[in-house]
Amino acid sequence: MYKLDNIRVLIVDDEEELAATIAERLEIRGIQAQTASDADSALGLIKTDPPDVVVLDLMMPGIGGLGILKQINLLEKKIPVILLTGYSSKERSIEGMNLGAFDYVLKPCQLDDLISKIQEAAKIK
Amino acid sequence: MNEKEIKFIGKITAGVTHEVNNVLASIREISGLMTDILSITDETSFPRKEKFQISLQKIQNQVQRGIKLTCQLNKFSHLSDTNKTDVDLNEIIEHLIFLTERFARIKNITLQNRPSTQSITITSDPFLLQMSLFNAVSYLLNRMDNGCEISICPDKNGSQCSVSIICKGELLDKTSIFKDSSSSEELLSLHSIMESLNGVYELDESNTAIIIKI
Repeated sequence: MYKLDNIRVLIVDDEEELAATIAERLEIRGIQAQTASDADSALGLIKTDPPDVVVLDLMMPGIGGLGILKQINLLEKKIPVILLTGYSSKERSIEGMNLGAFDYVLKPCQLDDLISKIQEAAKIK
Repeated sequence: MNEKEIKFIGKITAGVTHEVNNVLASIREISGLMTDILSITDETSFPRKEKFQISLQKIQNQVQRGIKLTCQLNKFSHLSDTNKTDVDLNEIIEHLIFLTERFARIKNITLQNRPSTQSITITSDPFLLQMSLFNAVSYLLNRMDNGCEISICPDKNGSQCSVSIICKGELLDKTSIFKDSSSSEELLSLHSIMESLNGVYELDESNTAIIIKI
């Protein structure tokens, strides 16, 4: 198992248990991970303690993943966003990429794929 | 079933498969976390560690199987999103194989996908098109004996696209595969769908095949 030094990630998903488990697995690999389950808490965390990378589920209640992405884009500090997309969210993934998302992964994703993308995103930050 | 009913079923199925996908994703991550914890746990402090690791791998394999099934079911649910769109025949046949595989396996019949080397795209109703192919395959499955093979071959000749569903092997009724075709539920349904799609189907006795032309 490899260690990843000091990358800070925020996982935004209303599936709290899933987000918490992914965060714990990332922590084991040395990535500092926090979670948020709604738009307000996600944007609050991003403003007060900006992570290096945001992993964002597209199917979020309220303003949705794309709404959160638009809000992140308005911030002064540019934070790369990796979208978690479902089977039928191809159009929304493309829209997300057009809105400046770093990349997207199909949910459920392989953890190693997600980590590779987090590493790439953290590099370009 | 009318269009509204089909869309209703599609919408409900899409929603449920999305939720099931989240459940499977959680199980995968939780079992993955257990595997991670075991991998950093000392062998001496965890008796039968290897057996736990093997069991966790089995859980992950089953989750992977569930994800594949849910993905295909979700794809099926979205067939009713629109009644006119571009349909890739190779793709819809690959999906058909998934939808009919279980029925074929029970009868010990092999389904062979023989995709065209060229991409064949037609504008059609994807739900009705899939239903027509399913009916044709079902008709043949119910009349072929154990150990048979059914090949599904799309083709394009000028503006005419076709799908040939060809059987190889013994018939259950040795006289003819199309003996009861006029009263068969599958073929009556196929006939009515073909009328809606402005297509036709042919029963090819000599090759034990049904050819759908769209």
